[in-house]
Amino acid sequence: MSGHHISTDKTLLGVAGALLVLTVLTVVVHYLHLPNPWSIIVAMAVAVAKASLVALFFMNLYWDERFNLMLFLASIAFLALLVGFTLLDTLFRPEVIPGF
Amino acid sequence: MATAETNLKKIQVQRYEPESDPDQHYLNEETGLWAWLTTVDHKKIGLMYLASVTFFFFVGGIMALLVRTELWTPAKTFIEANTYNQIFTLHGAIMVFLFLVPSVPAALGNFFLPLQLGAKDVAFPRLNLLSYYLYVAGALIALISIVNGGIDTGWTFYTPYSSTTGGAVTIMTFGVFVIGFSSILTGVNFITTIHKMRAPGLSWDKLSLFCWSLYATSIIQILATPVLAITLALVGMERILGIGIFDPALGGDPVLYQHFFWFYSHPAVYIMIVPGFGIVSEVISTFSKKHIFGYWAIALSSLAIAFIGFLVWGHHMFVSGQASLASMVFSFLTFLVGIPTGIKMFNWTATLYKGSIRVASPLLYIFGFFFLFLVGGLTGIVLGSIALNVHLHDTYYVVAHFHFVMVGGMVMAFLAGVHYWWPKMTGRMYNETMAKISCVTIFIGFNVTFLPQFVMGSLGMPRRYFNYIEQFQIYHQISTVGSYILGIGFMMIFYYLIRSLYKGKKAEPNPWGSRALEWQVNSLPPLHNFHHTPVIINGPYDYHKPMDEFQLGLAENGHGHAPQHEAEVSSQEPTKAE
Amino acid sequence: MANHSTSTHSQFFQHHFVDAEQQFDAAKMGMWVFLVTEILFFGGLFAAYIVYRLWYPELFVMASEELNTLWGGVNTIVLIGSSLTVAMAIKSAQLNQKRNIAINLGITIALAAIFMVIKYFEWTHKFHLGIFPGEFYAFDGIDHPKANVFFSLYYLMTGLHGIHVVIGIGLMVWLLLRSMKGHFDSEYYTPVEITGLYWHLVDIIWIFLFPLFYLID
Repeated sequence: MSGHHISTDKTLLGVAGALLVLTVLTVVVHYLHLPNPWSIIVAMAVAVAKASLVALFFMNLYWDERFNLMLFLASIAFLALLVGFTLLDTLFRPEVIPGF
Repeated sequence: MATAETNLKKIQVQRYEPESDPDQHYLNEETGLWAWLTTVDHKKIGLMYLASVTFFFFVGGIMALLVRTELWTPAKTFIEANTYNQIFTLHGAIMVFLFLVPSVPAALGNFFLPLQLGAKDVAFPRLNLLSYYLYVAGALIALISIVNGGIDTGWTFYTPYSSTTGGAVTIMTFGVFVIGFSSILTGVNFITTIHKMRAPGLSWDKLSLFCWSLYATSIIQILATPVLAITLALVGMERILGIGIFDPALGGDPVLYQHFFWFYSHPAVYIMIVPGFGIVSEVISTFSKKHIFGYWAIALSSLAIAFIGFLVWGHHMFVSGQASLASMVFSFLTFLVGIPTGIKMFNWTATLYKGSIRVASPLLYIFGFFFLFLVGGLTGIVLGSIALNVHLHDTYYVVAHFHFVMVGGMVMAFLAGVHYWWPKMTGRMYNETMAKISCVTIFIGFNVTFLPQFVMGSLGMPRRYFNYIEQFQIYHQISTVGSYILGIGFMMIFYYLIRSLYKGKKAEPNPWGSRALEWQVNSLPPLHNFHHTPVIINGPYDYHKPMDEFQLGLAENGHGHAPQHEAEVSSQEPTKAE
Repeated sequence: MANHSTSTHSQFFQHHFVDAEQQFDAAKMGMWVFLVTEILFFGGLFAAYIVYRLWYPELFVMASEELNTLWGGVNTIVLIGSSLTVAMAIKSAQLNQKRNIAINLGITIALAAIFMVIKYFEWTHKFHLGIFPGEFYAFDGIDHPKANVFFSLYYLMTGLHGIHVVIGIGLMVWLLLRSMKGHFDSEYYTPVEITGLYWHLVDIIWIFLFPLFYLID
């Protein structure tokens, strides 16, 4: 719990390497053309993993004050609210776009 | 915090009593126009905001009077229909974006937040100044739109009309976009300030309820305003680049615009009203000389309102064509807002119970707030139910409802705050009798204006219409008369407050006998608020402790900012500030 | 002013803070709060994307064929590299290696510029094909009536991201100039730290934009 965590070269390069591997992995999976729901699930899972790595180790959330982590998660939660409630409308309309 | 026990540090403090008539204060240090324009002092920025929002309140108010005057007769009275559309649009946009949103947080909040925290300034003073200039720039851009063709979409800028109509919609939305950034920066600043700038000893349970309400407001500002910004940017893009996200002619969906817009604009009504709640708590406690009833209930209900406010935006869209499932869920969630609001009302009433109440003008405004906000809130519950909403949607019932909340609630609380803190801000006392007379005038004028609107709304008079059928004329005329009474009331306030600056009695440091921190410094606070880092020993509502035991401490050593410091009083003798 | 005992030597210490630690913590939290607003700012566009993708899944599959996965992937790696160098710049500041701050910032600027150049070629290539946003859309290679909506979203989201990259480049240049004047050391590196946070967020947003536009099937 310190705002001044000093990362070692090993950590930084290791994280960057992992990000690189995940990027290659997600492109390779794309060319495999997985059956329908799975391609988006894998692509998003990889993206979430990459984003978490950046947030935790490049942005130091792993060592930082917990409140900053909470802010980050809260912003995602409220984004989920925006998306979720909007979908509650758009997915359940009788017609996609209401006529006038 | 679990580790707090081990981190406690004892700070040696002396008691402190403010000088009653200091030579140096924030108004006579760093004088001159240039010093004002470039000041990073939160108090001066607060005053500049206060002057600006007052100006726009009058501009918006004049628009309101024009609208009401035009509605005196069923057909044209003295202005054209197109002009009428532009005037009510400007009335809404100016009042919402240039007055209601910045009024309490940016004006009163800027001035009193650091004082109530025992801080020398907000966390980012230059950002604070930038935020003021963004506000001014946004306001100027918005005003350019008036001379550049006007805007007649209503303050909500609904697509596809707003993305296809002529006029200066692009300029207006850009202006609001800029003002939105001003609001975001204020929110960023306040959250950081409340977390990081509290004086030693000022733990979360000693935080004033005004600060709690500003905290809740800032959370809404940072979470909701960016969505408005991107939405208005998209409207601008529709007009400039023909991006068709919201335009059905290009394959877009106009209802999506309404979702995005109300994701901001519903929480935004809590940006407007929640700081008002904070003022109510401060004033109620001060003038009933009693510890606030249910401190945590009031503090947390502000946060609860901030959160629930994000779950209910679809109740603006019951007749927009959104899915019935969404309407049902939004309607249900809307009723939940009543719970934390009710908690506040009951706690305030309980604070008054058996208090030694002094009905000074700030408290009189709060009493007005109670009645009007109660009506506004309960009619909101009525509008939250789908079946009634379909009948009442876009009628004057809605207009009356939100004016009861926004003017009856928010403006009354704002005026209470201005009257309560006027001595601290200006060092002068205003004429108490005139204050009471104008409060009563406003209360009467307000009810005469808006009660008839409930009636004609439920009879089916739609909002925003230029013409109406003759059976509504009597209600419109009563309403118009009321609006002029209301206008007179506001002019009276303006008159005696300005007069007090020249003729008013000098204010003492603590004219109301309050226990809150801002009253423990001189009236006209010093430029940096506190000569030394104050140490907070008592809470802001500790009226059970006698005043002579209630001074601040001054830290002699260990100026830690971490809240884990525990104050220990070493000297019982009050010392004068240097 | 009362005299403060600890760590107030820096010329960049501001009077209204009690000590440099408070100043650093406040700046960092302020940046995080600002990043929250950034996430929701982009969030509006992500929400629009999700709504339209669930409405027209087949459109998104067809239209993403027009985007070049290879160059998208290269850009992803470029941005990851720039995030690494920013982190290295912060680490150099913490360890008082003043020269390395400037070197790392320089590489970051170069990588960000490469990103923008690739982006420029991607966009101009599409303009040549007549793929414009919204009502100016003039490409008949995609057999779907709403194809313009996909590209409206594409241009808006990558465009907004691009604007953030350009702002980031500006900030990095400013940091580079200051670091060459020797402003940053282990006692004071707040601007490097919080600009770094901003830059990483720009990276995170691209990490999501890449699969959402380039990797649909």
